[in-house]
Amino acid sequence: MSRTFTLGSLLCVVVCGLAATARPDARAAGQAKAQVIEIAAERFSYTPSEFRVKADAPVEIRLSSDDTDHGFRILGTDINIIIPKRGKGSATVTFQPPKPGRYVFECSKLCGAGHAFMRGTLIAE
Amino acid sequence: MTNLHSIAATVALVCLAALDPAQAGAQPTAPPPPPERTTAISGYMDFHFNKLELEDGRLDFHRFVLLVTHRFSDRIRFVSELEVEHALVEGLEEAGELELEQAYVDFLLARRFNVRAGMMLMPVGIINERHEPPIYYGVERPFVDTLIVPTTWFEVGAGVHGEIGRGWRYRAYITSPLNAREFTAEEGIRNGRQKGADTNIGRPAVTGRLEYAGVRGLTAGASFWTGHSGFEFRPRFEVPVTVTEADVRYSRNRLELRGQFAHTTIGNAAELNGALGRAVGVDPNVASALRGFYGEAGYRVISGASFGDVGLFARYENFDTQYRMPDGYLPLKALDRDALVVGFTYWPDADVAVKFDYSALRNRSSVIRSHNSLNLGLGWWF
Repeated sequence: MSRTFTLGSLLCVVVCGLAATARPDARAAGQAKAQVIEIAAERFSYTPSEFRVKADAPVEIRLSSDDTDHGFRILGTDINIIIPKRGKGSATVTFQPPKPGRYVFECSKLCGAGHAFMRGTLIAE
Repeated sequence: MTNLHSIAATVALVCLAALDPAQAGAQPTAPPPPPERTTAISGYMDFHFNKLELEDGRLDFHRFVLLVTHRFSDRIRFVSELEVEHALVEGLEEAGELELEQAYVDFLLARRFNVRAGMMLMPVGIINERHEPPIYYGVERPFVDTLIVPTTWFEVGAGVHGEIGRGWRYRAYITSPLNAREFTAEEGIRNGRQKGADTNIGRPAVTGRLEYAGVRGLTAGASFWTGHSGFEFRPRFEVPVTVTEADVRYSRNRLELRGQFAHTTIGNAAELNGALGRAVGVDPNVASALRGFYGEAGYRVISGASFGDVGLFARYENFDTQYRMPDGYLPLKALDRDALVVGFTYWPDADVAVKFDYSALRNRSSVIRSHNSLNLGLGWWF
């Protein structure tokens, strides 16, 4: 009985250990395929300016700038971050869509004469 | 054995705990948002040294520009751009100008359809809507973006704009027309801008742009502007003006490429020259068509260094403000020009640019020489 319990415990350790190490990879792979979005900002556009994500999972948005620092604000949410200027790194934000729908994002840092054109749409399905 | 049981059970519990994302801290969190601001101020400056061949060098604080924006709500916002040119305003453009280049209200109705009214930049060419000094090579703007597309080109009016999906964007405005009374042979339509100052709007002009920016680093667009510009003449006669333009811009990593083509037609140019000649005593020899194009390549030979970036560039331009003449008129060949501009930009910061270039100009005249120039500039955005 004692031997069985010991073997059972060790098996549990091995299985849980494998699961614990495998799960983050699986999550990262899933995000890389569907829930990680990379956006490049420059005067006066985001690329891509429209993208689709699954509404039932958080989306990791990675932002970089090709020129000055820009903002990234999703209207109707508390997401509002600064994208560092060229050569100063990037910014990452995680957004969980509260429900399926279209979410408009825009530059929240005045960036030039065409600042008002810097908008895009996140579509959560 | 009991110890082995305890250790195994403990490790199993730790592993089970690791499967719980909440305990493992697997949920990434967003950085805290900066304070919400509904009014923002920003701007750019442009300080130049120009040494024209055979002339003394000149220092000029070319542009001091302040942008002020205000967001009334997520759907209504105000944008303005106020510029002092050449540091001093004395009432004549040669001395300086105080210009309200933008002052409009945007009504953001839908992604595909938004309404704008007020003082607006004409959506023509690369530079007119995108002219902050650190983002273009060369101390001065391209000749084509000065003499064929008269940047900074701004007029009062109203229009619509939006993005129709996958990187396609459009603008379409109704604006005040150009004033043909101010057209010249050397600078074409440039002096005809009414600039929103008690403008004649008897026959509004129409302008628009379709643009694709769906691939990172690539922007390609085509623009037009068309209007009737003879409203100051009595008896009144038609001077239809049409500007068409196409441009492409690509930048990725260290490389930046640009190209632009612009063409302007001026209808009834012979009648216009006659009327202007009777008014001022000299026939101005205004052309019936103007044309210009350029190609530019820039490359950051140093990028990401602790002291900043350095980029080299070369631009070839061809611009002719006497491209086609009305019947009975001969072109002034000195105004059929081309330029080779080479130089570098040093960015100690992405928003600060120290520029140097040498502009070699040629023209088709066998009598009149175009003069080369050496230019130094300091431009910054904040």
